[in-house]
Amino acid sequence: MRVLTPFGAAAGDTRPLARRRPSLAGLRIGILDNSKPNAIALLEQVAEGLVARAEGARIVRWQKPGASLPATIIDEVAAGADVVLTASAD
Amino acid sequence: MFVPLGASVAASYGMPNLPLVTVPHPIGGLEPKLVRAKAERIVDQVFMALTTDPMAPAAVRGPADEAVTAPDDLDAFQVWAMTEGWGDGLPVLPPTAERVARILGGAAADTLVAELQPRRGFATLRAIAINAALAGAGPEHLPVIVAAIRALADPAFNLKAVQTTTHPCTPLVIVNGPIARRLGVSGGANALGNGHRANAVIGRSVRLVCQNIGGAIPGQTDRATQGHPGKFTYCLAENEAESPWEPLHVERGFAREDSCVTVCGSEGPHNVNDHGSINAEGLVRAISGTLATTGSNNMYSGGEPLMLIGPEHAATIAGSGWSKADLKRAVWERAKVRLDRWGPETRARFVPIDPERFRDKPLDHEVHVSHRPEDLMVVVAGGPGKHSAVIPTFGHTKSVTVRVSESG
Repeated sequence: MRVLTPFGAAAGDTRPLARRRPSLAGLRIGILDNSKPNAIALLEQVAEGLVARAEGARIVRWQKPGASLPATIIDEVAAGADVVLTASAD
Repeated sequence: MFVPLGASVAASYGMPNLPLVTVPHPIGGLEPKLVRAKAERIVDQVFMALTTDPMAPAAVRGPADEAVTAPDDLDAFQVWAMTEGWGDGLPVLPPTAERVARILGGAAADTLVAELQPRRGFATLRAIAINAALAGAGPEHLPVIVAAIRALADPAFNLKAVQTTTHPCTPLVIVNGPIARRLGVSGGANALGNGHRANAVIGRSVRLVCQNIGGAIPGQTDRATQGHPGKFTYCLAENEAESPWEPLHVERGFAREDSCVTVCGSEGPHNVNDHGSINAEGLVRAISGTLATTGSNNMYSGGEPLMLIGPEHAATIAGSGWSKADLKRAVWERAKVRLDRWGPETRARFVPIDPERFRDKPLDHEVHVSHRPEDLMVVVAGGPGKHSAVIPTFGHTKSVTVRVSESG
């Protein structure tokens, strides 16, 4: 028999990602902590590892009040960092 | 484990090629030094992702409404529908063009009702009707289903988080007004249980729309650790006839003769057994004790936990001369958890999430179940008996009430 698929169409618009930089030297490495347990431990350790590979780089930190809330500070993060790390997990 | 969710969220922001680096689950519930060791192992991958231009995104469009060929045999159809990711595990009915057209009646099928997260799926009347056909709903149920979908898309509901969280929540659909009586949506005995077609098919249709159009795929983008049985269907009416108070929709500014739907991002019901109390003061103790528990999201995320008051309990409470507001105030004052009932790591975690209730508080401080008494919801439902229920929510979600449009 013929049946209709239940998914409907979805928004498929895409936006270009920022060009990558060949080096992280001297950059502000942002961390957006979503307040999940140990998120800051994970992100800081990665950021420290990046700083060790990039002369003059430094870490800048932000925290969302909760993982399930939108990042209302996203413009501030974008302006205050050159690259940003964030994570989603439990 | 969370990769499908990460990819889905990135795509929903228009960045399906956003680089993702994965760390083995879990992150929480570990000594931080173990998490730091996990982090060490991904630094090189993160470095590469930050310094190498990503691939151009592949063109991604969700499948449009289209007809496909399915097995004629109804039992074979069940297996096929699950393989295609259409179903919820219970038998579904084939959404043939004829059945979908019957549900739609004369409605304009391409009307966009909502864009649903996390997939940003377009819930047109046609797409909703296809899911209603799967769920076994009839044309008479469509206006309530559509109203619920419209309510879910209100930003206050925070659908993306409700759909993707590990917490066991799903839309609870509460129907008020004349349409509940006309369709036979039960607010009486066993209203949240089996035995009522309207409750079953409306709730199920809403859930299938969330899954299929919204893209909350169990075990993938729907990350619920355990889920709850209401994820098959979760719908009831308020028992307005036996309520001593104004119904929910009237409390929210609608007319009594309006038909309205309220959606909440809800856990399953937790029973409040009180066969003894003969006045409101007694009942409030049982209700508040069930509401204020250490494992509830509402304790640290706020939100609007629901008290589903059985009509006999409601009569007892109103018999003490209490209004709905009186009940909310009295329960709020008692529904508290002492801070030292949580462990130290959990207390520390709650501080940035809800500083108003947790920052710089002594260990004997008692935390209320919601920020304000008026955040508590009261709905009268059920049949004879001395039971009520409390229904916690996801927390970071607000219930939304909309009027049902019956003009199509």
